[in-house]
Amino acid sequence: MPGNRKTVTEEVVRKVAELSRLRLPDGELSLWADQLGRIVSYIDQIAQIPEAASLRPAPSPATPVRPDEARPGNGAEALERNAARRFEGFGVVPRVVGGGE
Amino acid sequence: MTGSLRSVAQQVSLRKRSAREVAREALEGIERLNPVLGSFLEVSREEALREADRVDERVSSGEKLALAGVPIAVKDNLWVDGRRVTCASRILEGFRPPGDATAVARLRRAGAVFVGKTNLDEFAMGSSTENSSYQLTRNPWDLERIPGGSSGGSAAAVAARLVPGALGSDTGGSIRQPGACCGVVGFKPSYGRVSRYGLVAFGSSLDQVGPLTRDVSDAARLYGLMAGADPRDSTAADEPVGDPEGALEGGIGGWRVGFLEEGQAEGLDPRVAENLEACRQAFERAGARVTAVSVPRATAAIAIYYVLASAEASSNLARYDGVRYGPRRSETSLTSLYVETRTQGFGPEVKRRILLGNFALSSGYYEAYYGRAQRARSLLIQDFDRAFEEADLIVCPSIPSPAFRLGEKVDDPLQMYLSDIFTVPASLAGLPAISVPSGLSPEGLPLGLQIMAPRYQEERLFAGARAFEREIGFPDEMPRGVRSL
Repeated sequence: MPGNRKTVTEEVVRKVAELSRLRLPDGELSLWADQLGRIVSYIDQIAQIPEAASLRPAPSPATPVRPDEARPGNGAEALERNAARRFEGFGVVPRVVGGGE
Repeated sequence: MTGSLRSVAQQVSLRKRSAREVAREALEGIERLNPVLGSFLEVSREEALREADRVDERVSSGEKLALAGVPIAVKDNLWVDGRRVTCASRILEGFRPPGDATAVARLRRAGAVFVGKTNLDEFAMGSSTENSSYQLTRNPWDLERIPGGSSGGSAAAVAARLVPGALGSDTGGSIRQPGACCGVVGFKPSYGRVSRYGLVAFGSSLDQVGPLTRDVSDAARLYGLMAGADPRDSTAADEPVGDPEGALEGGIGGWRVGFLEEGQAEGLDPRVAENLEACRQAFERAGARVTAVSVPRATAAIAIYYVLASAEASSNLARYDGVRYGPRRSETSLTSLYVETRTQGFGPEVKRRILLGNFALSSGYYEAYYGRAQRARSLLIQDFDRAFEEADLIVCPSIPSPAFRLGEKVDDPLQMYLSDIFTVPASLAGLPAISVPSGLSPEGLPLGLQIMAPRYQEERLFAGARAFEREIGFPDEMPRGVRSL
C-alpha cells in the first residue's frame, strides 16, 4: 500500500530523479530517500479522508475569452536579449539532433 | 522611512516633498541597513531616481496619483522592466524579463517608484528565506531569527521601514507568514483577483500576488490598484473589485467572527494561545459576536498542499532546461544539457519539491496521491462553504509560533513545511486572507492574526481587518533589532 515509509526507496528516488532530469550522486540517495520518505509518510494521512461517492472536483470559473484580434506582443527584441547566443536576429540553441543521443 | 504609504503619496501629491527626496531617503536607508538585514538582492538607485523625477513631472502637470512617489520593493520573482529577475535561483542568472508584470505596471501607472528587488526562498519555495541561493535575510525584530518566507525580503524591508510597501507572492502563505513574523500586514487576495502576468509560476492553481505594508489601509490601497481582469492572464477574474479603501471604516458591529477550532488544537504554542485570547477580546470590543467554527479538513491541508503544489511546481519548472533561460551547462548531448543545467542550477529545496511532485504524478502513485489530494481539496472547499454559513469572517493564528532561529529547521523539511499550517487552508480554498500584527510575544517577537473571508469578499475582509487592527493596537515602534543601527 502506498503509505509507509518504504514506499520511497532509493530505487524510487533514482527513477524519479531521472524523470525530473536531475542527477543525484549515489552517495546522497539514502538521504533523499529518507527525507522524502518522511514527507510522503506525513502526506499519507490523506488516505484517511472519507470520500463521498458523488464527490466532484470544485468547478472552475469559465475561462474568459477576448476577440481574436492581433495585438502588439513583447517583440522579438526583448526576448532575444535573453538568448545565450544570437545569430542574424535568431537565438541559437544547442544542437538537438545527431548529437550522439 | 516613517509614515504610511498613504501619507507619503499625499505629501508628494501636495508637493510638500518631491518624489526624488522620498526616493533618496529610501535609498539611503537601504544602503545603511541592507548589509545587515539582507532584504534586497538588488537596489536600483539610478532607475529609482529617474522614475521619481518622472513622478515629480507628472505631479507638476496636475496628474492625480494614488501612489505619488511611493517607494515600493518588489519580490524578485516578479518582473520589473529593465531589472533582472532571479527568483533567488542560479538557474535564472542573467535573465531579463521582457517588461513589467501587470501588478507592477498598474502600481507604476499610479506613481510608484521601484527601488529594488527583494530576497526570497528559491522560486518562492520555503518559509524562512533561507533557501535563497544568494543570501540570508534577517528578522528586524531579532537579527538571529528568520524573517519568514518566502517573501522574507519584502517583509523585512517593510518592517525595518526601508520602504512603506512591498509586493510579495503567496502560494501557501508566503505573504502572510513573513508578514506575521516581521510584524507587518501581509495580504493574499482571492485566487484570481490579481493578474499573475509577470509572476514566475510556482503552483498555478494557488499563486497570488499581494502587498506587504505597515497597516491595513495601505494594503487596501495597493490591492485596489492591482486587482482586476487582465487580458494577459486568463485566470484573472472579471469580477468587480469594488472599493476596498471605502470599505475600511465600515465597522463590524453584530458580525459573526468565527474562531477556527482547528486553529486552537492541543499543543498550540502557549504564547500564541494567549495572544489569541487578546484577539478574541479585540473583536468583542469592536462589537462583533465571537463564535467557534470548524473546518475539519483543515488539519489535512499541509498534506494536500504538498502534493498539489509540488506537482504543479514540477510541471512549471520543467521549462528550465538550459535552452531558454539562464546559463547552459554541458552541451555534449541534449540530455546532458538538461540534467547538468538543472542539477547545477537548482538548490536542494527546489529539487526536493520537483522530486516530490514527479513522484506524486508518476505512474503507480498518481491516483493515491495526486487524485486523492485533488478530491480532498474539494472537500476542504466544501468545509469552508459550510463554515461561512455560520460566520462572516473566520480567524486563526497566522503562525504556529513566533519567528524561529536561523538554521533551526533547515535540516528538517517537514518541520519547515508545518510552519505554514495555518496559512495553507485559505490558499487551497482560494480565499482572501490577511495577516494583521496582533501583539508581541513575551520575548518581544511579533505575532499575527489571520482573517479569512469568502472568495471575492475582499471588502468584507478589509472592514474586519481594519476594525481588528484598531482594537488590538500593535505598537508603532521601530523593530528593536534595527533600532540602534
